[in-house]
Amino acid sequence: MSETWRRTLAVGLAFVVAIAGTFLFAYRVGRQVRHIRTENEPIHAWMSVPFIAHAHHLPANVLFQAIGVQPREPHDRRSVRRIARDLNRPVPDLMVQLQRAIDAAAQPPGGHPR
Amino acid sequence: MNDQLLAAVSQYGAPALFGIVAIAAIGVPLPITLLLIVAGSMISQGAMNPWWAISAAGAGSILGDQAGYAIGRWGGPAVVEKIGGLFGKRASLRAAEAKAQAWGGPGIYITRWLLSPLGPCINLASGTARYPWHRFLFWDILGELTGAAVYISLGRFFSDRVMALYAVLGDLTWAIAALLVAVFLGFQLVTRLRRPLAE
Repeated sequence: MSETWRRTLAVGLAFVVAIAGTFLFAYRVGRQVRHIRTENEPIHAWMSVPFIAHAHHLPANVLFQAIGVQPREPHDRRSVRRIARDLNRPVPDLMVQLQRAIDAAAQPPGGHPR
Repeated sequence: MNDQLLAAVSQYGAPALFGIVAIAAIGVPLPITLLLIVAGSMISQGAMNPWWAISAAGAGSILGDQAGYAIGRWGGPAVVEKIGGLFGKRASLRAAEAKAQAWGGPGIYITRWLLSPLGPCINLASGTARYPWHRFLFWDILGELTGAAVYISLGRFFSDRVMALYAVLGDLTWAIAALLVAVFLGFQLVTRLRRPLAE
């Protein structure tokens, strides 16, 4: 096989890989877009309590209450990590408490899920 | 570190956004798309002014890009190589130089927002290639304002699905990059296959 054909074959293989990559990522985009409105937003330590409340369509004071924090006026935008540090509590504990409050709000006692 | 940057934008708003995007535009790998989406979500929550957010993000990026261009143009090849090496981008910098020459203005525009990981390399490469500064500034302003407006608007629209949106945009960028490579390779392949026939 000549050098020219070897190079052409390499370009052809790279082309096939690029096409496969395009379809793979396009498929992932399509799948994520379909689920974007139904999947719950996970809680991250950088998020503020009002940010988490907004993502789960809850009033911020419900979540502040759940973790036993009196929000600072006018807007308490401290991250979960910062609140945990201020309260001298582990971050995962606070995140678990927030998640429980979100789950409880989604399924009120004796009622139907939100 | 990303967590701290996101928390800073969430707590301090536009001034933090300005500082972080300026640093990222010089070449420090930071999650700027996610920061802009978060800013959009904060606008939707009434915690940030939309014009302040777009201005801060646009101005910060343009400032960082101009610094990158200036380093490329007046810092000399040794400084450029050193900076490229610091961020592990020496090879991509050489590739970017070729791209900066070939793509020109549209290349600068598209690497401001759609193929943004290439942006810092293109800044340095445009400087070393002595691409005219007034043209670089024009395409830079246009691209950065487009990017800020697009990602902040997306964040505003999907304000309750920030992380999911970020995942979609990450894959979308890869899909577009793969498609561009496929188009380029397809063109090369057709040219190569036609050559023996012509001969």
